[in-house]
Amino acid sequence: MSEKNEIAVEVKGLSKSYGPVQAVKSIDLQIGMGEYFALLGPSGGGKTTLLRLIGGFIRPTEGQVFLHNQEVSHLPPNARPTSMVFQSFALFPHMTVEQNVGYGLRLKKVASDEIKDKVANMLKTVGLDGYGERMPHELSGGQQQRVQLARSFVLETDILLLDEPLAALDANLRRDMCIELKRLQEKIGMTFIHVTHNQEEAMTVADNMAIIADGSLVEMGKSSDLYENPIRRFTADFIGENNIFDGQVSKIEDDVIHVDLGSSSIAVLSRGQKTSVGDKVSISVRSELARAIDTSTSSTEPLETLSGIHRESVYLGLTTSELITLDNGQEVLARQISDRYGGHTIANGTSINVGWRQQDGRLHIS
Amino acid sequence: MNDDYSSKWGYRLKWLYTLLVVTTLMLPVFFVMYISFNENGFGARDYDFTFEWYGLIFSDLLMMEAITSTLNLSAITVIFVVPMGLITAKLYKITQYPLAVISLMLSPLFVPSDILGAALLVFFKNLNGAFTLFGEWVGVSWFDTWFDLGYFSAIVGLIIYTLPYVFVVILITMGRYRKEQTEAARSCGATAWQAFWHVEFPQIKTGVFSSCAFTLILCFNEYTRTSLLKGGFDTFTTVLVSQMLNEGMSEQSYAMSSLVSYIAIAIIGSVIIFTLVRSERLERIARAKAEPLMAS
Ligand SMILES: Nc1ncnc2c1ncn2[C@@H]1O[C@H](COP(=O)(O)OP(=O)(O)OP(=O)(O)O)[C@@H](O)[C@H]1O
Ligand SMILES: [Mg+2]
Repeated sequence: MSEKNEIAVEVKGLSKSYGPVQAVKSIDLQIGMGEYFALLGPSGGGKTTLLRLIGGFIRPTEGQVFLHNQEVSHLPPNARPTSMVFQSFALFPHMTVEQNVGYGLRLKKVASDEIKDKVANMLKTVGLDGYGERMPHELSGGQQQRVQLARSFVLETDILLLDEPLAALDANLRRDMCIELKRLQEKIGMTFIHVTHNQEEAMTVADNMAIIADGSLVEMGKSSDLYENPIRRFTADFIGENNIFDGQVSKIEDDVIHVDLGSSSIAVLSRGQKTSVGDKVSISVRSELARAIDTSTSSTEPLETLSGIHRESVYLGLTTSELITLDNGQEVLARQISDRYGGHTIANGTSINVGWRQQDGRLHIS
Repeated sequence: MNDDYSSKWGYRLKWLYTLLVVTTLMLPVFFVMYISFNENGFGARDYDFTFEWYGLIFSDLLMMEAITSTLNLSAITVIFVVPMGLITAKLYKITQYPLAVISLMLSPLFVPSDILGAALLVFFKNLNGAFTLFGEWVGVSWFDTWFDLGYFSAIVGLIIYTLPYVFVVILITMGRYRKEQTEAARSCGATAWQAFWHVEFPQIKTGVFSSCAFTLILCFNEYTRTSLLKGGFDTFTTVLVSQMLNEGMSEQSYAMSSLVSYIAIAIIGSVIIFTLVRSERLERIARAKAEPLMAS
């Protein structure tokens, strides 16, 4: 996946400005062939703009786009080996499902028997066998999106761009479609670039993802790495449910960094990051790795702890979240698998510690 | 869409009102048509059916020429004004300043026809004068007739007159169309022109054809601008009016007036019928296709 000739999409110093607004700020990015790549980030971050720059719907202000190592920055969408799936409204409303799916093939002057076969096959693949004669408005939202997928798949272009393809669907359907998308991508072997602001969606589908915020690339990597081992504070804040503590480096012992949080001090592993005493840094801890601990019980293993007051337990079904207010007023979440029968409940308002293993804390220097 | 509690009489009264208004508006027209078939002409006690007056129109050379030149004027105007309206409607959909576009496009509607006609007349006269002077100065006579009153000036006047209508009619049919559809077509490999022709045009063609019909009728019926700007009384309405003013209403005038109405009604009627029949047929087909799948 890292070999030079296997790169499907490469973006170098890509920028796009709308007057004073910098929608995309000098982004560098590489996406391997056959990869399912997600662009994740908050609304207005520049994901759509980046995707459209890759697809050729917008001209870059600066920088280049390479598809299969070929510069395509000057080419219109129809001359690029990409095809796009839109959020909605993108089916041709005056054509049947069959005609929609076959449109690209007809442009390519493929023989009509062949078009018929390919379209029928593709409709089967996306689970719309027998819907060929319908008009787009006679389909549900999920079915319409599958027609869009079929319309792109059938062209056998090798890069598929998806801009919030599931945003118009309800939560259940979205989950099903996520799994379906992943399955289809593996079956067809195309490179997918999937824009979403829903992290669950991104985690479900993507092998690799990039976090885009404020026009810049914040962090890029394997989905599981970004979840378990984020480098940037922003990533920790955006992905998963993390407790974040801001402080200053007070002492450095080899790769253990001591961070002064004001009222208390916490030790954390450096993970190879260079810091010096006095630096402003942050520590993040996933809520499922933080535990609420009675002040009376002494723990069996060494933990980094902070003291606070128990606010409430929120039962969420599978898990229960303990909401704790630290002495400095910051709120912390500790989440564990619900245990309705064995566990004891903590009364609201009691003093309590929140703790985690040293290796579960993550240092962020930016 | 009536709810069960609304009065039946309210509904009937609305129908009655509509029919009454339409009848009041159309009655004189129908009356003129009625007279135009009377052998004995206007005010006669006896009614003998005849086509004679219509025959006279077609044997009247002046009249036939007038019809021809009016049709030419209308057709040329359509050829220019419909693409112009289409382009502006497309601009309206993509611009950041839609209010500016719409105000500019609709402004000709607020100028009374005689004022616009007179203003253009003065404009063309002056332009003509200026160009003739320029030609004398350069020493060629080539520029002398560029802005003489004639087809060109009349068509400019008619374009200014009909453009707002064309713009609005096309704009209305653009409602359903989304730019994502064009982008999707582009990403399927279509050029900009193919995307327009395959995806956008089929969705707005009702508007385009309606505006063609509309423009034809507007031009055919137009008197003020045409008479001021064409130079000479040789179009359908100008001939009709000048005959009426000079010779009084002849039986032939009734026939001519009726003829204009027939043409207008025929054009509008066929547009409406075509649109209705087509949309109904599409709906029927769609329902027939959807039903077996719904059941399964
Ligand atoms: N045509 C435009 N003109 C001016 N500004 C624009 C234009 N398109 C996008 N922007 C701005 O660029 C920034 C990035 O927009 P973009 O649509 O790429 O965000 P996004 O990450 O896709 O957000 P969302 O998740 O809401 O879709 C935003 O601040 C937006 O206002
Ligand atoms: Mg977007």
